[in-house]
Amino acid sequence: MSDPILSVRGLSSGYDPIKIFRNISLTVAKGESIGIFGPNGHGKTTFLKTLSGLIDPWSGEIVFDGQRLNRPGERGSRKWRNFNYDAVTRRRMDPKQVARAGLIHVQQGNLLFPELTVAETLSISTTAARGRKGWSLTEVQSLFPRLAERNDHKIRFLSGGERQMVSVAAGLMSAPRLLILDEPTLGLSPKIRAELCAAILTVKETGLPIILIDQDVAFLGQIIDTLYLFDHGRISGRMSREEMPDHDGLMAILFGDQH
Amino acid sequence: MDPVTLFSIIKGGIVLGALYALMATGLSLVWTTLGIFNFAHGAFIALGAYVAWQFSATDAFGWPLALGIIATSLVMFAIGAFLHLTLVKPFERRSDVVLITVITTLAGSAILENLLLVIWGPRSKQIPKMAEGELAIGGFHLAFSEIILLVLVLAILVGVGAFLRYSRPGRAMRAVSQNREAAQLLGLNVPMYFALVLGLSAVTAGLAGVFIGTIRFMNPAMGSEPLMKALIVVIFGGVARFSSPIYAAFIIGLLEAFSIYFVGLYWAPAVLFFTMIVVLLIKPEGLFGKYQRTL
Repeated sequence: MSDPILSVRGLSSGYDPIKIFRNISLTVAKGESIGIFGPNGHGKTTFLKTLSGLIDPWSGEIVFDGQRLNRPGERGSRKWRNFNYDAVTRRRMDPKQVARAGLIHVQQGNLLFPELTVAETLSISTTAARGRKGWSLTEVQSLFPRLAERNDHKIRFLSGGERQMVSVAAGLMSAPRLLILDEPTLGLSPKIRAELCAAILTVKETGLPIILIDQDVAFLGQIIDTLYLFDHGRISGRMSREEMPDHDGLMAILFGDQH
Repeated sequence: MDPVTLFSIIKGGIVLGALYALMATGLSLVWTTLGIFNFAHGAFIALGAYVAWQFSATDAFGWPLALGIIATSLVMFAIGAFLHLTLVKPFERRSDVVLITVITTLAGSAILENLLLVIWGPRSKQIPKMAEGELAIGGFHLAFSEIILLVLVLAILVGVGAFLRYSRPGRAMRAVSQNREAAQLLGLNVPMYFALVLGLSAVTAGLAGVFIGTIRFMNPAMGSEPLMKALIVVIFGGVARFSSPIYAAFIIGLLEAFSIYFVGLYWAPAVLFFTMIVVLLIKPEGLFGKYQRTL
């Protein structure tokens, strides 16, 4: 197997002082897409936020395409007698650098920038690309024809589905090398959901590897190669697409037969 | 009231309003973006006036005022960005950042004011007028310097507004102010934009100081009273849009000019504060405000 694009070893993090997930290790091979499935409130989103640097890792390491993303060492002390300008102001992991390296995180239920128009949002979405070739404006507009119609609308007047489309479009224009999608279809109407799922499938078919959280096992099965089960902040199972049971089967694995 | 008096009250109110608009814009820029209240804003006002005096007064460098204003803007930008790195950034990631920065910016304000006192001394100074002469039609008088002031303030506000709306860094600044996390995930350099915002805010405050310095005598504490007025303006108008403190500034300016005429100089601040309290009671988000802070 070639070098992995993403390798996570012994990662723990949470919201001070509560540790949300502990000692997570996983590897994503080049070209591989993975899915994460698990009940709400078990640390999936927190894990992804740690991957993209929004939350500082407490311990462990994240290596993306051979580049270490978090600064080594345990979580630093915040006591004043240890005051150190660099330690206080610099993050142990910088989300800007993560994005610029090409690990792009499309957040769950992303509200984006309520007072910016779709066009303005997309115009600043090429920041992370840094010379890598991302999707162009015309490409994302042909993927999501609705966005072209809504070009001059403020994000706050868009529907949930349209916002999610802007979010994914902004992610694609950031020239991702690995795209993280956190429940992109959560709470959408069936019609919009189908539109978005089709678009994500199109993205997947361009060869872009994806990390996908979703509750829809059938949709996961279309996108991913490997599925990780998340339970109480730990990985409780790993299976290939072929081994994946249906939704009830997964619930039985997570909760036992009596759920 | 005769028309000449009415005209001069309105004129005074509009000039005041223009100055308040400039100060309040900088204040609300920082509030909406960084989520902190910058108490050093008043010191920026005084600092801008003194720096401009140093460049343009005949007994200092004696540069032309236009050149002095440009140089002052550059100096103020650098100082604003520097103070962000020292007074705000170390505490940015703490949950109690708002309270801590109240103290640090107050400290910064005290240090700056005393620095002014040490460098330039306590004697009142004045920046040369922007222009001599006046426009007189019948009994109505309008000084050229007042016209220039209004035009410049308007140009600066339009310029800042256009920068935020049309330029890429301006859009990025608005994005950062509206959703810090999403901006980071797009790879925007959030700390740099914060420093940029504080720099820009210091420039607008400094320019307000320069204009005040051309019409009144300046002293190191000259910023505290305008800061109070800018605060009233921001509360009065809200910060929902870039333009809301600007409208509010002109309303407050006119209100102040009329109260000075009708109730006297000493009671005018009471009228303003009373108005502010009424607004807080009836529409706490400000006249043009919404329950959110965005840019």
